[in-house]
Amino acid sequence: MWEALEQSGWVKTFGSTGWMYASVSVIHYLTMFWFIGSIAVVDLRVMGVAARKRNVAELADQIFPWAWTGMALAIVSGFFMFAADAGDWAPDPVFHVKLLMIAISIVFAIIVQRGAPTWAAAPEIPSYAKIIALISLLLWIGTILSASEIPALEGLG
Amino acid sequence: MHELLVSFAKWLEGTPWAVGVRTSLWAYPFTQLIHFTGLSIWIGTNLALDLRLIGVGKQRETAAQLADDLFAWNWIGFCIVLLGGFLLFSSTATTFLVNVAFQWKLGVLVPLALVWHIIVQRKARAWGQTSDTPIIAKFSGLTEILLWISVITAAVEIPNH
Repeated sequence: MWEALEQSGWVKTFGSTGWMYASVSVIHYLTMFWFIGSIAVVDLRVMGVAARKRNVAELADQIFPWAWTGMALAIVSGFFMFAADAGDWAPDPVFHVKLLMIAISIVFAIIVQRGAPTWAAAPEIPSYAKIIALISLLLWIGTILSASEIPALEGLG
Repeated sequence: MHELLVSFAKWLEGTPWAVGVRTSLWAYPFTQLIHFTGLSIWIGTNLALDLRLIGVGKQRETAAQLADDLFAWNWIGFCIVLLGGFLLFSSTATTFLVNVAFQWKLGVLVPLALVWHIIVQRKARAWGQTSDTPIIAKFSGLTEILLWISVITAAVEIPNH
């Protein structure tokens, strides 16, 4: 199935055309940095170490729509890159770890976004919120690490 | 000048940290992690200000407020980028030095984008006082995004040269 995807018409063209693959890589890196950095800033704010003057809910409301936009673009561009070598990527265990990390990180990002108005309304940001934000931050760092390990351990990418 | 750079690069490659990054299975990805984590904070905070200056997205905060909110972590992110980048460069310094894409990236595009960023960040306080920003602010924000895209493009091209 994955081999078939790799060999299908548009994927083959995309994977073997240098500038196309490079352009999508640029989009993937840009949007990946963009959305992770955006979420990280909100996490840091919840933890109380960034933009302390600003209301948590206000900052989250300003930043999160950009984060989700960036993430959507990173997922689409990432799928293109996956498709170009689907036969190699699909069975790779470190890639599975990366996908799992992304899934869990997204759940935590949603919790932070939804929690922000409540936490902002409290006299002080609750400790459990800070822990959630810290976990969210660490999960994204873990995601980047698992992504960096793929070429090192598996020679892919 | 060139001679000096080459001997500096050779010396760098021989330093203990460069040998560590180059030869250990885990050190290279961890160093990449430092560079990429810094880049996320750097690009994330840069784009937030640029997009707000352009007027794309929500307008809960003014550009001036956002510039103020993000300033500290923007530069913390930059320091992390620099640390990771320096270690990555050290590991194979002589190879990077003769790479055309790397020369463009570090010699031309990064300095240009960096100077532009500093100007935009300083100006944002004046441009971003009201919710609606002047046309020069929109132009400057867009230009900064394009400059960082050119930096990433050069970076992606490094392995192809």
